[in-house]
Amino acid sequence: MIATLHTFMRALLTPDLSLRTLSDARVITGNDALPRLLRTSRFVEAEIEWRGARWLLSMPLTSAAVPHIERAASFVRRLTAPWVHEYRILSGEMRWYDAAGTEHATDLVLERLPEGYAFDEALTAVAAETLHGALDRLQVRLREAGIAHNNLGEKNLRWSGGDLVPIRYHDLKVEAPTDADTAAFGELHRIVDRAAVAQPQTVGDVAATYTAPKPLGGHRWTGNLFEGLVCVEDETGFGYVDAQNRPVIPSRYLWAGDFHEGRAEVETPTGMGLIDREGRYVIAPEYEIVEYRPATSAVYVRRDGLWALFDYSGRQLTDFSETVKPGV
Amino acid sequence: MYTQSITRKHRTAFVLTIDCSGSMSETMRFRGREMTKAEAVAAVTNDLLFELIERARRNDGVRDYYDLAVLSYSGDDEVRSLLPGGRETMSVAELAASEMPVRRESVEYRLPDGSMAIREIPVPAWIAPQAAGQTPMCEALRRARDLVRGWTARPEHAASFPPVVFNITDGEATDGDEEELRAVAQQIRNLRTSDGNVLLINIHIACGDESQPLFFPSRDEACYPNRYAALLYDCSSEMPEAFDAAIREAKGPGAIPPFRGMSYNASAAELVAMLNIGSISVKTE
Repeated sequence: MIATLHTFMRALLTPDLSLRTLSDARVITGNDALPRLLRTSRFVEAEIEWRGARWLLSMPLTSAAVPHIERAASFVRRLTAPWVHEYRILSGEMRWYDAAGTEHATDLVLERLPEGYAFDEALTAVAAETLHGALDRLQVRLREAGIAHNNLGEKNLRWSGGDLVPIRYHDLKVEAPTDADTAAFGELHRIVDRAAVAQPQTVGDVAATYTAPKPLGGHRWTGNLFEGLVCVEDETGFGYVDAQNRPVIPSRYLWAGDFHEGRAEVETPTGMGLIDREGRYVIAPEYEIVEYRPATSAVYVRRDGLWALFDYSGRQLTDFSETVKPGV
Repeated sequence: MYTQSITRKHRTAFVLTIDCSGSMSETMRFRGREMTKAEAVAAVTNDLLFELIERARRNDGVRDYYDLAVLSYSGDDEVRSLLPGGRETMSVAELAASEMPVRRESVEYRLPDGSMAIREIPVPAWIAPQAAGQTPMCEALRRARDLVRGWTARPEHAASFPPVVFNITDGEATDGDEEELRAVAQQIRNLRTSDGNVLLINIHIACGDESQPLFFPSRDEACYPNRYAALLYDCSSEMPEAFDAAIREAKGPGAIPPFRGMSYNASAAELVAMLNIGSISVKTE
């Protein structure tokens, strides 16, 4: 019997009661204290902290996915290269009971997340030629290892230690020679090229080829592209669209700032808050001022004229007091 | 039939009708704890909404896979929407973008040695427990019928996976007799897209006997000692063959189709298992 997403969420919130190996893990939650779940085609996943590292914990949503991950885990375990991070199945890891009181145990996939940051962030932080080089190196490495990742999209790569490191090996194929990733690498190179073109111009760019981004129509006001999202103002307020002008976060704010490191300040009739890329409140919109510092991940929050410091995850680190000042 | 993928191009709809009548103030044992039927219904509904939203969430945000409607029926024959702003329908992306109330709930866990542990955890709480007045279930189902009829009539939905109506009740309609209820249920089940007929799933929340929770019953299983069991069984859709394998996986190898789209005092896990089956079987993507 396949567990529901709700069962997975409850297990993540009570690891000491519901998980075997990961009983001392801590799930990453939003400001609402609920785990941040992400669904892929055949899995639901959440990030956890365990033994001083960040991990991706995935639950299969269909029993048909299990043979794939068993093969993937078996092969990844035998790869000892430094660019391969731990990926394993925790057999019967999640204990749960159905309404009739029958106990079930569900396998979970545990994958270590390399330190660093996501591919889309690397697009803005790392030079294009460096990324092209890293993609070429990764292609050679996979070929030499005799494997195809088989789902090598933007979301399944992280920039870590000067290299691009694959994650989510669920669809790994073992074959030699392997070319299942060829098309994916081609697309990733094109993404790097497009991102390079879209970088803001500087004085030194005047001789470079420049393709103006397509203007985003239909809005009262349009901002610039930050981390894949453009702040716009519509009749109903401020919101966000993607680079293709598709609505991502509805226009419902009195004011909204640009996204930096996955966070943006917003203002609502009840006050200012901080949201994530999905429009969820990391800090509830109930403060006079919310001032986010992406360079340090610190958030200064003012209430009744007093300031407090919050962290990136929306946790309050200090009391509201006169000693906390945002400074310059 | 019932094979269309639920995508942004081929969207579907979920309609939840919720009994909030006075009889819902009765207490019952649900998920190992004493609570009112209203609390059980709210828990079931919130779990369903959570599952529906999270199933649509991908790394680029909540995808607009389906429309949602949540209708309560109670009071002086009152049927009203419980969605934010009283809107009749919302897309799943719209609901996900709205402020989600969270409350803390005590949850009981059974430990390997058989002892119990209680933890307080945050849970989504779009719907609050309510219990007042009458049970205009016939009218609520007529509203659901009209919603679904309008939805299926739109050309862009012609080839979609058909809408699913969940009716969460203790079975006691006060605005019509059994024939009226059977008739409106039949009208709902007769609506269709080219992929199949609308599915009407009755979730029966009841107290007063020791019967085991039940989901997707066969005819024999549905004979539990409750006077509304047979009526709700008759009103529920027969689950299409496309779901048989998944239901058998959920119920165990001894389960024999045909199955009915119905449950009895099933907790969130079993109720949401219905959606899992649908989503997985039809490859939500």
